[in-house]
Amino acid sequence: MHTMPFDTVLIANRGEIAARIIKTLRKLGLRSAVVYDEVDARSPAVSMADTAILISGHTPIAAYLDIAQIIAAAHKAGAGAVHPGYGFLSEQAQFATAVIKAGIAFIGPAPETIELMGDKIRARNFVQSNGFPVAQSAIEEDDPATFVSRARAIGTPLLVKPSGGAGGKGMRIVRDVDALEGAIEQARSEGQRYFGDHRLYVERYIENPRHIEVQVLGDSFGNIVHLFERECSVQRRFQKIIEEAPSPALSPELRKRVCETAVGIARAANYQNAGTVEFIFDAGEFYFLEMNTRLQVEHPVTEMITGIDLVAEQVYATAGRELGFAQSDIVSNGHAIEVRLYAEAPERGYVPTSGKVLLLEYPSGVRIDSGITQGQQITTAFDPMLAKIIAHSPTRTLATATANHAIQGVILLGCETNASFLARILSDESFVRGQFHTGYLEENPHIAAGNPATGLSAFLASAALLTRQVRESADAVPALHASLGHWRN
Amino acid sequence: MYHSVEVDGVDHQLWLSPCQSGSYHLHLRDHVISPVAFAQYGENSGVLTIAGETERVRFVIEGDLIHVHIRGMTRVLRYSDPLRTLACVKQEESSLITRAPMPGVVVTIAVSPGQPVSAGAALMMIESMKLETVIRSSQDGVVDRIHFKEGESFEREAVLITLSKERR
Repeated sequence: MHTMPFDTVLIANRGEIAARIIKTLRKLGLRSAVVYDEVDARSPAVSMADTAILISGHTPIAAYLDIAQIIAAAHKAGAGAVHPGYGFLSEQAQFATAVIKAGIAFIGPAPETIELMGDKIRARNFVQSNGFPVAQSAIEEDDPATFVSRARAIGTPLLVKPSGGAGGKGMRIVRDVDALEGAIEQARSEGQRYFGDHRLYVERYIENPRHIEVQVLGDSFGNIVHLFERECSVQRRFQKIIEEAPSPALSPELRKRVCETAVGIARAANYQNAGTVEFIFDAGEFYFLEMNTRLQVEHPVTEMITGIDLVAEQVYATAGRELGFAQSDIVSNGHAIEVRLYAEAPERGYVPTSGKVLLLEYPSGVRIDSGITQGQQITTAFDPMLAKIIAHSPTRTLATATANHAIQGVILLGCETNASFLARILSDESFVRGQFHTGYLEENPHIAAGNPATGLSAFLASAALLTRQVRESADAVPALHASLGHWRN
Repeated sequence: MYHSVEVDGVDHQLWLSPCQSGSYHLHLRDHVISPVAFAQYGENSGVLTIAGETERVRFVIEGDLIHVHIRGMTRVLRYSDPLRTLACVKQEESSLITRAPMPGVVVTIAVSPGQPVSAGAALMMIESMKLETVIRSSQDGVVDRIHFKEGESFEREAVLITLSKERR
C-alpha cells in the first residue's frame, strides 16, 4: 500500500458520481465520507460511505452548494482531502480556495487554474494567445461601443454566449443579423440570472459540428499526458446523452493533432490533476470550446479504453505523486460507449419525471455507474441523471450492440426514464454508421417521439391477464361454455 | 363486459374470454388476439404468451396502476374498475364524495363551493404519473367542499370534492 498524506476523503457530491468515487477510494485503502441532504438519505452513496454527514439548505441543491457546512463536515469526518465530483462546487475556485485554507487538500487543479478556465472569455484569450485555434469571435468587454458592429462583421450564423456560462444556458443562435441585438439583450439577462454575470461574447456559430473532447492528466512535476478523445456529439439542448471513445470521426492524424493540441493547452496552463479540453470539430478543423477543470460525467469511456482509473489518478496527483506512466505507455484498446439513463420523457419534450423506484435491476456484462436504489424516491430536485451504462467491446459495432442489449435489460419500474429512447438511438442507422453531429437529434425528431403503438398489444395483454377483475369476468364464462360443450357431445 | 385500461392518456377497451386451459382470447375494440396466457414466476416477473410468441415480463402492481417492462420498453397502464363505478352509482351517500382514483397533484379546479353541478360535469383536473385526468361529478348536486388546492398533492382514495344534495 502506498502512503498517502491523507487517510479519509470527503465527497462533496451525490448520486452516481459519489458512489463511483467511493469505489476507488476503497480500492486505494482510503476511508470515504459523504455529505448528504435528507432527500438522499436512501441513496447508494450514503449507505456505501464509511461516514455520512447530513447537511441542509433551503433547497436540496442549496445544501450541496453550502461551502461552510461542507468544510465543517470534512473536519468532523477527519478528512484530509475533498473530492468535488462534477457539477455543484466542482468548478468554483472559491470552494477550492476555502478547502485549501481549511488545511484540507482539494482534489482538482489549483484554484487559479479553475478561475482561469471558468471565465470563458479569459480562457479563450489564453488559448488563442498561446497559438491554439479558437472560433472567430467578438468579445464585448474589449470595446463595448463597437461590440455589435464587430459581431455583425463576423457574419451569421452567430452564437451569443454569456461569459460565465456553462451547460448551454443562456446561449442563443442568431441566423438573421437583424435579430442580433434582441438576442444580445436576452442572453445578457439570462447570463445575469443564471451566473450573476452580464458579460457576453459572440462567436461564429458552426452549424452541426461534432463535439470532441480530450482527457488530460497532469501532476505537480510538470508531466502532462492525454488519454485520447471522447466523442460527445449526441446531445439535446447542449446536454450530452451518449458518449464514446474513440471518436468514429477521427483519422489517426486528426486524433494525434487534437490530442497534442489539448496537451499543449494544459501545459500552457501548468495543469495539475484530471481535466478535459473540449473542441468543436468541423470539416477537419478544431476550435477550442472550453476546458473543464474537473472529472467529466463521461470519464468512464476513457477508463474503459485505457484501463486507467481517473479518480485514482486524481487522488495520486493531489497526494503529490508523480504520474506512474508516460504518454507512450497509454494505449487505446477497443471501443467504449456510455449511455445516460435520465428521469425524463423524450417522447413528451424531455419533461422531467419522478416517482418511487418500485423495481430496479441492471443487466450484467457492462459497467453500471448508478446513483439510485430500489425504494428510493426520484424527485425533480436535482439533475435528472440516474445512472450510466457503459459497454466496452473490441469494435464500435459490438459496443453499440452490447450497449443496446444492456439498456433494454435495465428494469426500472415506478419512474419513467429515457431507456427506450436510448435504445432507439443505438438502433438508428446514422448512429450505427457513426454519422452524426450535435444537431442529429433535432434533425431526427422521430427518434425522441418514438411510436406509441410499438408492442402495445403485449402490454395490454399483460395488464388484462394481471388484473384479477378482468380474469375473473372471463373465468365466469367457461361454466356456460363447458356445459354447452357437453351438450353437443 | 368490456374493461377499460388507460395507457399514455388513451383508453383501451378490452376483455378476455376463455380459450384452451389457462389461456384466453384477448378482445380489443377492433380485433382479437389469441391465445394469450401469463405464467407468473416470483413476485414481479412472468412469461406472457401472445399469439404463439413468448415475452419475458417484469411488473409491479400498485393499486390501479400496472407498471410493465417488456423488451426494453416500460409502460404504466391504469385499470378502471367497472364494478367500483357501478357501486358508486348505487350508493346515494357515497356518490356525494369524489375520491382520488390514484395519487397525484391537483392541476386546476373547475368549480367553486356553492356551485350547482350536473352529473358528468368536470370538477377538477389532476395529474398522476404524468397523465392528466379530469375528475367528473357522478351525479347532480351542489359543490360543498373542495378538499385540496391547486398544486397540492394527495394519496389514492383521498376525498377530493364533497357535494351536497340541496342548495343551502
